[in-house]
Amino acid sequence: MRPILLSGHERALTQIKYNRDGDLLFSVSKDQQICVWFAHNGERLGTYHGHQGAIWTIDVDPTSTILASGSADNTIRLWEIKTGRLLKTWDFPTAVKRVEFSEDGSKLLGVTEKRMGHLGTIVVLDIKLDVDAEQSDEKVMTIVCEDSKPTVAGWSYLSKYIIAGHEDGSISQFDGKNGDLLYNIPIHELNQPITDLQWSHDRTYFITASKDKTSKLITAKDLEVLKTYPADTPLNSATITRKKDYVILGGGQAAMDVTTTSARQGKFEARFYHKIFESEIGRVRGHFGPLNTVAADPTGKSYASGGEDGYVRIHHFDKGYYDFMYEVERERQNKLNQQQQQQAATA
Amino acid sequence: MAALQQKHDWADDDELEETSTELPPPQKITNKDGSTTIIEYRLNDNGQKVKTTRRIRYITHREVVNPRVAERKSWAKFGLSAKDGAGPAPDTTSVGENIIFKPSFNWRQDAKDESKDPNAQAMKDKLKDKKVKCRICNGEHFTARCPYKDTMAPIGEAGAGAGADAAAGAADEAAAASAGAAGAGKKGSYVPPALRGAGAGAAAGERMGGKYGERDDLATLRVTNVSEMAEEQELRDMFERFGRVTRVFLAKDRDTGLAKGFAFISFADRSDAVKACAKMDGFGFRHLILRVEFAKKAA
Repeated sequence: MRPILLSGHERALTQIKYNRDGDLLFSVSKDQQICVWFAHNGERLGTYHGHQGAIWTIDVDPTSTILASGSADNTIRLWEIKTGRLLKTWDFPTAVKRVEFSEDGSKLLGVTEKRMGHLGTIVVLDIKLDVDAEQSDEKVMTIVCEDSKPTVAGWSYLSKYIIAGHEDGSISQFDGKNGDLLYNIPIHELNQPITDLQWSHDRTYFITASKDKTSKLITAKDLEVLKTYPADTPLNSATITRKKDYVILGGGQAAMDVTTTSARQGKFEARFYHKIFESEIGRVRGHFGPLNTVAADPTGKSYASGGEDGYVRIHHFDKGYYDFMYEVERERQNKLNQQQQQQAATA
Repeated sequence: MAALQQKHDWADDDELEETSTELPPPQKITNKDGSTTIIEYRLNDNGQKVKTTRRIRYITHREVVNPRVAERKSWAKFGLSAKDGAGPAPDTTSVGENIIFKPSFNWRQDAKDESKDPNAQAMKDKLKDKKVKCRICNGEHFTARCPYKDTMAPIGEAGAGAGADAAAGAADEAAAASAGAAGAGKKGSYVPPALRGAGAGAAAGERMGGKYGERDDLATLRVTNVSEMAEEQELRDMFERFGRVTRVFLAKDRDTGLAKGFAFISFADRSDAVKACAKMDGFGFRHLILRVEFAKKAA
């Protein structure tokens, strides 16, 4: 496969995200702009201007009309995707490290940084999915995390829970309606921050990435660890692919240590693991720095990675990727095919 | 135009073309195989005439696209990209070098070949602590430097001499042996090709066939008259009915990617291969009749 290199950013990427149909790719970086790209050919559709600081996070609503971004200038902003128009700005006392729309796009959560005497919080905002509507200033809910600050958070299926990953390696489950803390379970190693949390397509389980060099697949309902993917480097991001049962992990040495090591040792590769068998099945290299963020196309055709080196690389999978099967998978497939044939014969 | 040129002597031709500044009109020829050849002429910076011939094949590729996606493709660009034309802008989008990514269970083994160098380094480090030991007197010097070199035989070889009178005989034997054992002992001394066989030469000779030689050809079928459009997976599916298939090789043209018309199928079990050979010979596949036979060892 030939990766498409997107060089629209001048500084390290912080997050990339596909929209639900998988045709648009949004990227944000520590320089102050948001880019949107066509995923199939890497053509840039536009940029969104207004933030005054590094942008940490981005999310797109399920209908691909509104975009939310969170930045180090202490704001969450809403944008019209089609034109790049700024729709709304919410101010916060500290930087916003994560935003995510709920499954239906009616709510937005934001994770604010713990700094300057303010505790880390998760705020929830009501969103009207209409570019001309007046968005309300009011926060629907604020969850204050007193123990360990949240680093990532997301909405489970039906907005039933808010799941948050913390700096101390634990995962919390909050009630999505009233914000009550239901569980807090230490899942990753103590004091190894959780760096990413991405959902499966139906939001019943999610994958985490942590600096403790592992990634875990966890259910949303009771926070049960289903699978563990061990890596040999601190991880910054993890995602679940569609169509094939794989997960993609991205990481690499911390940016501050990079200059002391060669590119080979830096482990700046996207790692593919089989989602069910937990074994590593391949790596894709290409970045000159650690991978800060990886995202899988919801249609299963491609994946993209954004690195500390300021590049986004979109990879469209080729045939070998789809053909790969474990022996048991192949046998199962054959058996199913035979059964179908028999059914067709009898019917 | 062609007729006009024929009247000229060929020697004049060159002169004529140089003087004429007008360019022949571009030509469009439709080829038999459905492709189109476009011939264009232009003048380059030095005023020379340049002929460009392009052969183009149009393939209509129909795709069903989500209407929402199709609508978004028509959106106008904005922000920093507002001035960009249609298609990817070269300053923000480029194509990287091809990456071969094939998932496999044992990718780690494949990757290991690249990391052989560190292993060699480790071996060196291990040897670094080894002490030099003389084979004659066990002293801490090289055997060649041993003060007893001329008076004593090496410790291991004392028995090998196996005789009291064998001073001269042993020397002869040793010489013959060293010649036979391929220049391994004495570096640089010439060993005739006929004598090289005993040592490493024999192994190298056997390996001539490469990795293919090691394969068990007993349960391998050669399938010929395979359609150009065939895929390995199709063949695998067809032959898997008879037993476990360990390998499917479909020869493909490197440029076009079309199959060359033959394939090899290896079975885990020879009896399955026999069955498959009997059943599949003469099988109709993609409008062609397959010919299946046991693969012969390459001569």
